[in-house]
Amino acid sequence: MTVAGDHRPTRGASVRKAAEAHLAQMEGRYRGLLEAAPDAMVVVNSSGDIVLVNVQTEKRFGYRRDELLGQAVKAIIPEGFAERLIADGERTASEALAQQIGTGIELVGRRKDGGEFPIELMLSPLESVDGILVTAAIRDISVRRAAEAHLAQMESRYRGLLEAAPDAMVVVNPAGEIVLLNLQAEKQFGYSRDELLGQPVTNLIPEGFAERLVADKLRSAEDALAQWIGAGIELIARRKDGGEFPIELMLSPLESAEGVLVTAAIRDISRRRAADADLRHKVEELNRSNDELGHFAYVASHDLQEPLRMVASYLQLISRRYKGKLDSDADEFIDFAVDGATRMQRLIQDLLTYSRVGTTGQDMVDTSSEKALQQALTNLRGAIEERRAVVTHGPLPVVMADETQLIQLFQNLIGNAIKYQGPGVPRIHVSATRGSDKTWLFAVKDNGLGIAPEYFERIFGMFQRLHKREEFTGTGIGLAICKRIVERHGGSIFVESEPGQGSTFQFSLAGSRRK
Amino acid sequence: MTVDKPAAIDVLLVEDSPGDVRLTLEAFRIINDTVRLHVAVDGVDAMAFLRRDGTYAEAPRPDIILLDLNLPRMDGREVLAQLKADPSLKVIPTVILTTSEAQADIVNSYQLQANCYLNKPMQLDAFETLVRGINDFWLSTVKLPRPAGGSA
Repeated sequence: MTVAGDHRPTRGASVRKAAEAHLAQMEGRYRGLLEAAPDAMVVVNSSGDIVLVNVQTEKRFGYRRDELLGQAVKAIIPEGFAERLIADGERTASEALAQQIGTGIELVGRRKDGGEFPIELMLSPLESVDGILVTAAIRDISVRRAAEAHLAQMESRYRGLLEAAPDAMVVVNPAGEIVLLNLQAEKQFGYSRDELLGQPVTNLIPEGFAERLVADKLRSAEDALAQWIGAGIELIARRKDGGEFPIELMLSPLESAEGVLVTAAIRDISRRRAADADLRHKVEELNRSNDELGHFAYVASHDLQEPLRMVASYLQLISRRYKGKLDSDADEFIDFAVDGATRMQRLIQDLLTYSRVGTTGQDMVDTSSEKALQQALTNLRGAIEERRAVVTHGPLPVVMADETQLIQLFQNLIGNAIKYQGPGVPRIHVSATRGSDKTWLFAVKDNGLGIAPEYFERIFGMFQRLHKREEFTGTGIGLAICKRIVERHGGSIFVESEPGQGSTFQFSLAGSRRK
Repeated sequence: MTVDKPAAIDVLLVEDSPGDVRLTLEAFRIINDTVRLHVAVDGVDAMAFLRRDGTYAEAPRPDIILLDLNLPRMDGREVLAQLKADPSLKVIPTVILTTSEAQADIVNSYQLQANCYLNKPMQLDAFETLVRGINDFWLSTVKLPRPAGGSA
C-alpha cells in the first residue's frame, strides 16, 4: 500500500515493511468488521478523503466502491463532516475531532443520483500509519425524521385543538412538568405562557394530579395513570394570586416524541359547586318549611277544636233544652248553627287526619290488606247498614304499608263509593292484581254516579267537591287524604269512570319484601 | 242489686275552662244528682283543696278527681305527680280528662299512676256518655278504700 505525503525521516526498510504488513493485517480485520456493520461505514483521512467504505455505503449512496475510494467525503456528505476534521485558527484537527467523537451529528447525505436524505453520523478515531483516520458510521434517519415530522405536525394540530377547547388544557410530561398549555389555562390561572412552560404542574394543582402520574410500590407509572384516564377527578387548583378554586380534571394520554404526555382538561367547577350548594340549601329550606307547615296545620287544627267543641256542645245543649219552647224561627236558627258547627268539626277532623298522614305516620311493614279492609268495613258499619251496601272482595295480598293509613285509605274510598250513589243498592268490589316489579294494583269499583273525565285530576286536590252540599255532605279532603297516603307509600292513585257507569279507583302499593 | 246509697259523692274537677266545668255539672245533674262537684281552676288551687290549706280547711276528701292536663300556674302532670307521691292522697282515683291525644301525655300519665286517661269528646252526647261511664264505673261499681279515721 502506498501512502501519499509520507515525509517522515527514513527508517529501516524492514521496520517499514513490518509496519505495513501489520497495518495491512489490521485493515483486513477492520474491513471485516466494517462489512458486518448494519450502517454505512466510511473511513476518512485527515484531509477528508475516503479511504475505506463498506457495502452498505455502496448501497445507500448508489456508488461503486472504486468510485468512492480516494474521493473527497464531501461528495457524499456535502456539509458538516469534512469541516469537522479540519483544523481552524483556534483548534487542531484532533481537537476538532475530539469534540465530535461519540455524539450523533445529524447531517444530510447525497446519493450519486443527487438525491438527499437525512443521516446521523457517529464518529470514532482510528490510529493508523497514515495518522488518525476517522470512521464514520452513517445511519439513514429518513424514517425517524418522517416520524418526528409527523409528530411535530400532530403536536401543532393538537395545539390548535387545545386552543379551541373551552376548558383550560395543560399537557404534562412524565416528570410532571408543563410542556403545552392553552390560552384558557393562562386566563384561568393568571399566568402568562412563559411563566408556566417547563414548570411543575404542582404550581397549578398542588395536590392530587402529579401524584397520579407517578409510579408507587404497587403500580407502574402507566398503571398509575391508566386508572385515572377518562375519570373526572375533583381537586383544588391555585391561581398565581394564591386564590384557590375547585376543579374537575379529565386526563388523557398523548403519545409524543418525548414519551407519553398527559393532557389535562381542567374545568373550573366553582359555579357548579355553588349551584349544588344552593340547591342543597334550598332543599333543606323547603323540607324545613314543609315540616313547619305540617306542624302548623296540625297545631292550628288541633287548637281550633277546643273553642269549637264549646260552640258545638252548648249549641247542642240549647237545642236539646229549648227546641220547641221558643218560636219556630229560633228552632231554625239553632238548627243552622248546630249544622255549621258540626260541619266545621268534620272539616277540622279531616284536616287533622290529612296533616297526620305526614307527621305521625308509622314505618312500612308487612300488612295484610285483607285485614285492613275488614277493619275499614267495621268502621263503616253504620253507613253500610244504612245504605244496605254490598261490599265484596277478591283475594288480597300482604303489602308494605302503614296499617292505620291503609285502613283509612280503604275507609275513604269505600265510604265515597257508598255515599256517591243513586237510589239503588250500592255494590262495591275490591280487588288486587300483580303489577310489574313487585307492586300490587288495587281497584275499588263501584256502581255509583261516576265522574266526568275533566274531574279525574281535580278530585284528588284539597277542598275539591263536585256536588252541592244539599246533595252530599263532605269536606272535599277525603280523596286528598287518600292521595297523600298512597304517595307516602311510594305509589300512585287514579280514577277511571264514566258518568252513570260507576267509578273504579285504583292505587298501587309495594308488595311484601319477603319471599 | 242495690248499693249503699251514700249521702253525697264528692268529685273534685280540676279544670280551668268554665265551659267544660258547666258541661260536667250539667252532665252530672242528669246522671247522678248525689254528686257534689267541687272545682279547682288550676294545679295550685287543686293541691290547696286536697291539703285543706287556707280557705279549703273544711274541704271534703273527694271520692274521685277529674284532672285536666293543661292548666295555668301548675299543670295537671305536676298535680298528678304530687298527689301520687302523697301517701294519704294517692289512694284517691284520679281520672285524666283532657283534649290532648299526644302519646307522650298518655304514657306519662299512666307512669305517674293515673287511674285512667280519657279524651274530652267533641259532641255533647258523647260527653254525657263519658260522664255516665265515669259515674257507673268509678262511683258505683268500683270498691274504694274508706278514708282512714282522723281525716274527718
